[in-house]
Amino acid sequence: MIFQLIRLQFIKSARSTSFAKSILTNIFLGFIILLLLSYVVAAGFFLKDIIIVLDGDVDPLEALNGYLIFFFLTEFMYRYFLQKLPVVELESLLHLPIGKRWIMNVLLLKSFISPLNLIALLLFTPFAIQVILPQFGAVAMWGWVGAIVLTSWILHWFMLWFKQRFEDSAIGLAVIIAVLLLGAGSNYLGWFNLGELMKPVFDYAIQSPVPLIVLAVLLGVSYWLCYQYHVQNAYLEDLAGEQEEVRSFGQSIGFFARFGLAGEMANLEWKLIIRHKKSRTYLILSAFILLYGLIFYTNPAYSSDEGISPIFIFVGVFITGIFMIQYGQLFLSWNSSSFDFFLNRKGGVEGLIRGKYLLFISISVVCFLASVPYVYFGIDILLIHMATFLFNVGVLVHVIIYLALWKPKPMDLNKGAMFNYEGVGAAQWLMVIPMMVLPYLIYLPFALLINDYAGLIALSVVGLIGILAYKPLSKINVQRVYQNQYEISSSFRQEL
Amino acid sequence: MISVKNLKKQYKEAVVLDVESLEIPKSECFGLVGNNGAGKTTLFRIMLDLVRATEGSVEINGTDVSKSEEWKRTTGAYLDEHMLLSYLTPDEYFETLRKIYGLSEADLKTHLERFTDLFNDEIVGKKKYIRDLSKGNLKKVGIAAALMGNPEVVFLDEPFENLDPSSQVRLKKLILHEKEASQITFLISSHDLNHVTEICDRIVLLEKGKIIRDLREKAEMMRELEEYFVG
Repeated sequence: MIFQLIRLQFIKSARSTSFAKSILTNIFLGFIILLLLSYVVAAGFFLKDIIIVLDGDVDPLEALNGYLIFFFLTEFMYRYFLQKLPVVELESLLHLPIGKRWIMNVLLLKSFISPLNLIALLLFTPFAIQVILPQFGAVAMWGWVGAIVLTSWILHWFMLWFKQRFEDSAIGLAVIIAVLLLGAGSNYLGWFNLGELMKPVFDYAIQSPVPLIVLAVLLGVSYWLCYQYHVQNAYLEDLAGEQEEVRSFGQSIGFFARFGLAGEMANLEWKLIIRHKKSRTYLILSAFILLYGLIFYTNPAYSSDEGISPIFIFVGVFITGIFMIQYGQLFLSWNSSSFDFFLNRKGGVEGLIRGKYLLFISISVVCFLASVPYVYFGIDILLIHMATFLFNVGVLVHVIIYLALWKPKPMDLNKGAMFNYEGVGAAQWLMVIPMMVLPYLIYLPFALLINDYAGLIALSVVGLIGILAYKPLSKINVQRVYQNQYEISSSFRQEL
Repeated sequence: MISVKNLKKQYKEAVVLDVESLEIPKSECFGLVGNNGAGKTTLFRIMLDLVRATEGSVEINGTDVSKSEEWKRTTGAYLDEHMLLSYLTPDEYFETLRKIYGLSEADLKTHLERFTDLFNDEIVGKKKYIRDLSKGNLKKVGIAAALMGNPEVVFLDEPFENLDPSSQVRLKKLILHEKEASQITFLISSHDLNHVTEICDRIVLLEKGKIIRDLREKAEMMRELEEYFVG
């Protein structure tokens, strides 16, 4: 039975319309993951030295045990954003005499095979060998490493449950913000020392097997809870998503009406965003990223007396352009279920693309305006945002759309959130790399040869040229869609 | 009105459609029948320029459909749900189309009034997204949308499928009425022989991508078709 399920999974990916593309990205991803994991191992080997450099003359183990809680809070955050639920065509399996429990176990265990679950092991084992082994012996070492790894794995199951249960709700958001505040705020602002809270657990793990046993039991419990929740919710109504009440928000935005057909399409796209959970998440992410500056602009490491830290360009591009970067990645995939609608109208495809341009640029304007209060951290920040905003609207938007038009794949927005993480993956994040390099190619030469402001002026000028050349530049992308319209529409209909 | 010349669609070796010539005059009600996989939907998709023809061409009013977009203004179609915007309510969807076609609100109202019977109070004014409608109601929305904007040609793929019996009869009446009143050219594919023979002036039978019968005599249609399908 289990082999059958695995075989189905394999066939599904092998027969997907974007198989070749996925293979390439997967190989590439594999390398990236290996690379990142090797960094983790390297960090593990130098952990002791890092602690000594940071904390001065203290017992590294004592210090590390005090920091562990922050490691887990961080883990909580990255798991929240990266961890994926295994996708399987549950709908087509549920009616068969396979048994939900089987399917769920396979799915959950499959989710466990993930590089995320290796991080804790790889990071802390070298440290344990260097520090704990000589001092306390092998048993103590394994007790300590075991306790950490088990905690990390408990988080794995907890997160699968948590994401499923709360992802699109205010409670989930509140918990995430609370974790952020706890992690960043408590020690930093001196409310209370969170580190001391969990320290005894890991101290104790060196001396006794009790924490290990307790955590092993907790691991079992967390798996069981996660499993129970998924089995109970493995119904088509959860898969298909609850029938959403027609919301009063997400109505048309009057402003767009001035732009004719493109405006109408921008309004449609806006409704699409508001009415699908997946796209809503992207919008919320944009709002979150607005706060990104707080991390960077307040960090003493980046603030120097002489000019602008180059990293701020990256922050500026992100803050004013995150929505087009994120949402634009899947440019046409959002419309994959209704692409024929646009094809079948005169000028429909062009309207659709121009509508998206309008929406991206409008949201960018809103983000830029919302980021104006950062001027509190200095007029330079405002100038950076201005320059990156112009660059985003003038140049980057075209680049993103151009890249996103490389074999767009269909995405079913109507499937409920449960088990549906189609189209969102690390590959989408990787596409960001060339987009991040581009502004530096323009900024750095001027910043290094003349001064930082010259770099900002260069960015702005290039952006302004892009804005002036909007018509011909957007024409390129419109043409590209028209040239590939048959391939795109048949891949969206899943015909190939 | 519509003319198809040497049309061929090939996926690698397999020829799925091979139509030498097909002329459909204005205001004809053209029926397309054939077994599953005969190429009915593919033919419609190529005629609507949704799928590229391997060879040959389709002309509507003298223009090649793959060369210009002008014909889209006067052509309505409903083939499947890909032609809807599933995240809108039916009202919003019609409203969107109204703006695209540049109709007035009164135009839209008159248009929808024609569908009052067919809609059976389940479409207009309901707070439900199109994606949550039943298959039959989806079809009704699609058909009403295809007939918007005073089209000269309307393509309908399996319009009777999924409709309840009374809706089928209402739809049939509607099509006959539109044909009389607005001189619309209808292209309809269907498995329901009774319905197509009743509304269509001409029925073309496809088999493995080829036209094997072209029936124009009302009296003969049913007999010939039954002979073919039932044997």
